[in-house]
Order: sequence, then C-alpha cells, then structure tokens
Amino acid sequence: MTLMDGDDEGVLAARLRAGDSRAFDEAYDRYRPRVFSFLLRLSRSRTLAEDLLDETWLRLVAHARDLRPGTRLGPWLFTVARNLYWTYRRNSLVADACSPELTLWLSPPAWPSPFELAAASELERRVERALATLSPQYREALLLVAGEGLTPSDAAAICRIAPEAFRQRLSRARAALAEKLEQTGASLARQRGYGT
Amino acid sequence: MTSDRQADYVLAAVAALGPHDVSRRHADSLRRRCQAQLQTRPTRTVVSRGVDRTALQRFIGPALGSAWCLAYLVEVIRRAVAAYGF
Repeated sequence: MTLMDGDDEGVLAARLRAGDSRAFDEAYDRYRPRVFSFLLRLSRSRTLAEDLLDETWLRLVAHARDLRPGTRLGPWLFTVARNLYWTYRRNSLVADACSPELTLWLSPPAWPSPFELAAASELERRVERALATLSPQYREALLLVAGEGLTPSDAAAICRIAPEAFRQRLSRARAALAEKLEQTGASLARQRGYGT
Repeated sequence: MTSDRQADYVLAAVAALGPHDVSRRHADSLRRRCQAQLQTRPTRTVVSRGVDRTALQRFIGPALGSAWCLAYLVEVIRRAVAAYGF
C-alpha cells in the first residue's frame, strides 16, 4: 500500500484548491480507507476513528483553497488525522485502556468473501493484536512507514519530530512488535500443544 | 543481520494488514457533507485597490516605525545637547 507519487498528489491538491469537486471524489475514494485504517489502528476505537475521519475530511474541504502549491495530499491528510487523534487524547479524560482486540474486530471485514475471511492468516490477526498492545507512538510510526509507505522523513514531519529521533522510534517500535509477535506465537503454540 | 531480517519481517507483516473502511452509508453521508461544503465555500474577496497589502506589511509599516524611532532619538539628542550645552 503506497501513496501516490508526489506529482500526482500535487496535481490533486491544485485541483482541490480550484474547487474541483471531482478532485475531491478522487481524493476521497483514494485516501478514505487508508486514513480510516490508520485512525482505527491508532485509536483502537471504531467510533472515535469515524469521528476523526469525518473531521479530517471536513478540514480538508475547509482549507482546500489554502493548500499551498506542491502540497502532497497524503501526508497532509495523515498529519491532520494524527493531530486530531493526539488532540483528542490530550483532551480526553478517558484512559486509553480498550481491549486490544475488542473494537478492531467488530469492524466489517475488508475481505470480499467468507472464504477469504476464514483464510485471513493467523499471522495477520497476531499482528493486529500485537500492534494494538504497543504504545500509540510506536503504532503510528509503524503504521505510517510500513502501513502507508511513507518515507521516515515524511513520517517524522507528520509526527513533528526530528528524522533521526523518528528513526530511533521506528527501530524501537519494530523491536517491540517483533517481541510481542514472538510472545503471542509462543503462547499460541502452547495453547495448541505445539510447545515442548 | 538477524535483527535486520526480523525488522523486515515485522514491517512486511504490518504492510500486509488489510484495509478497513467505514460503512457505505457513512462514506456517502460524509461525501455529501464535504461536497456541500466545497460548493458553498465563501469566495474570497480579492483586494485590488492598487495597494499591495503584503508590501505594506513587509516594508511600509517597519519603515514608518523606524522613521518614528529615528526622529525620537534625534529629538532626545537635540534636547540633551540644548540642556547640557555641549
């Protein structure tokens, strides 16, 4: 899953700036699932992710005419979505203590058939669960770079930290996820009697 | 090398996660709201009275401020000279 190249994104942003409604549809269809997936995995709450998604797109429309030439729409959207999430977190008194797998798996499956749903790899479920147990900072680093194909520099700009600091964060996030995956893999094996 | 391979495996596993989306109804509703807002955005009035606001802010304002400070300084010096009779 990768973003459009910079030129395409720039053209799309220019069309949006001109008020082109078809450009909005194009951007909406292209980025809505990506931004929503990002928000859902970051927030671990479908309701919250939906609210933040709405706000992200409404902000795009509100600021479309102010988009600077050369604005890359993908990073712009992820920046807004990410900032909205962290603003919510700061303002919220509710602890981020959802069950790691509760809300995510209540979402409608993105797979097209029951067979594919059944065949959805165990690995994928393990990754979702392990990802959900990481800190939000680690989750967003992994989701932006691995999930959305952004460069570490772009992701660092979105997270408003220095590129070197982001690389360190990403490295720690990868190590943490690998450890969680190993743990869940071992416990799964024990449950099924595969362990020695 | 092992940790690199492990890192690649981890990133690949995250990259392979399937997408999620809102319901069709929600997506259509949000699209309609955004399109409506896009169509009704207030048009910005273009300032074209011969005065470039940007130039005013960048140059004329600071120039007037500097001139005032300079005049004030000159007056202070003039009065000091008058008072102490240098």
